[in-house]
Amino acid sequence: MYEWIWQRLPGGLGGKAATAALIVIVALALLWFVVFPWATLHLPIDQVGVG
Amino acid sequence: MVRAVSRSFGEVCLTAGVILLLYIAYLFWGTAWAASSAQQSLANQLNRDWAHSGGPANPFDPSPDALHLVTGQPFAFIKIPAFGQNWRFTIIQGTALAQLNVSPGHVPGTQLPGQVGNFVVAGHRVTAGNPFWSEPSLRNGDLIYIQTGANNYTYRVIGKQTVLPTNLTVLDPVPGHPHEQATRRLITLITCNPAWTGTHRVIVTGVLVSAQPRVSTVSKSVKTAG
Repeated sequence: MYEWIWQRLPGGLGGKAATAALIVIVALALLWFVVFPWATLHLPIDQVGVG
Repeated sequence: MVRAVSRSFGEVCLTAGVILLLYIAYLFWGTAWAASSAQQSLANQLNRDWAHSGGPANPFDPSPDALHLVTGQPFAFIKIPAFGQNWRFTIIQGTALAQLNVSPGHVPGTQLPGQVGNFVVAGHRVTAGNPFWSEPSLRNGDLIYIQTGANNYTYRVIGKQTVLPTNLTVLDPVPGHPHEQATRRLITLITCNPAWTGTHRVIVTGVLVSAQPRVSTVSKSVKTAG
């Protein structure tokens, strides 16, 4: 999977590395700021109420 | 082909594992980061409110009006030295998720600080700044300080138990005895146990040992003690 993506990244080694880093950062930010907050609302995590 | 498929499968599994670890980190630190700015503004709001408030109310029977109980709004600070010198959270009215995600909350219908009966505070174990992360480590004799606009209350821990979430009797004025007339002034802290789950609740009970008007000298001594 990652090899397949790597082959399709543009540019030489430097360009590929920079693009890959950018993709990783965007993916992490999406997870941290969008996916995780959404998941937390919908998962039964840390319920403290009684009743 | 088989090799490529199995390698991709391995990569997907590894990725899922890393994302899961990252999510756990998010629950612990990501939510705390959001909650700490909420705590900051709630604390500022309390200090602003108190700067304009009148004289001390009756420490042993504060009226809901005197405490300005409004769902989602802060009315007290809680400090527990056993959790660390800098550990301090606001207590807001209400324990719906919207409230608990920013602060420990007072369970509506239970008593108020200093009153005869049971002042019940619920807080997250994990997420929202992990306020009650260390609650199960509290021991008998540990002190819990509650600060309202008018008064300082000191409670001493006298017991700890683990109950099912359906056990509503921990909220009663006499915990565990729904029909008894309360004579003691108790505090109950509730959080989930084990951490990360919703299967049980850990309950810490304390009894009031002092209540004093929050004049400057008293609040100073509490600050150095807490």
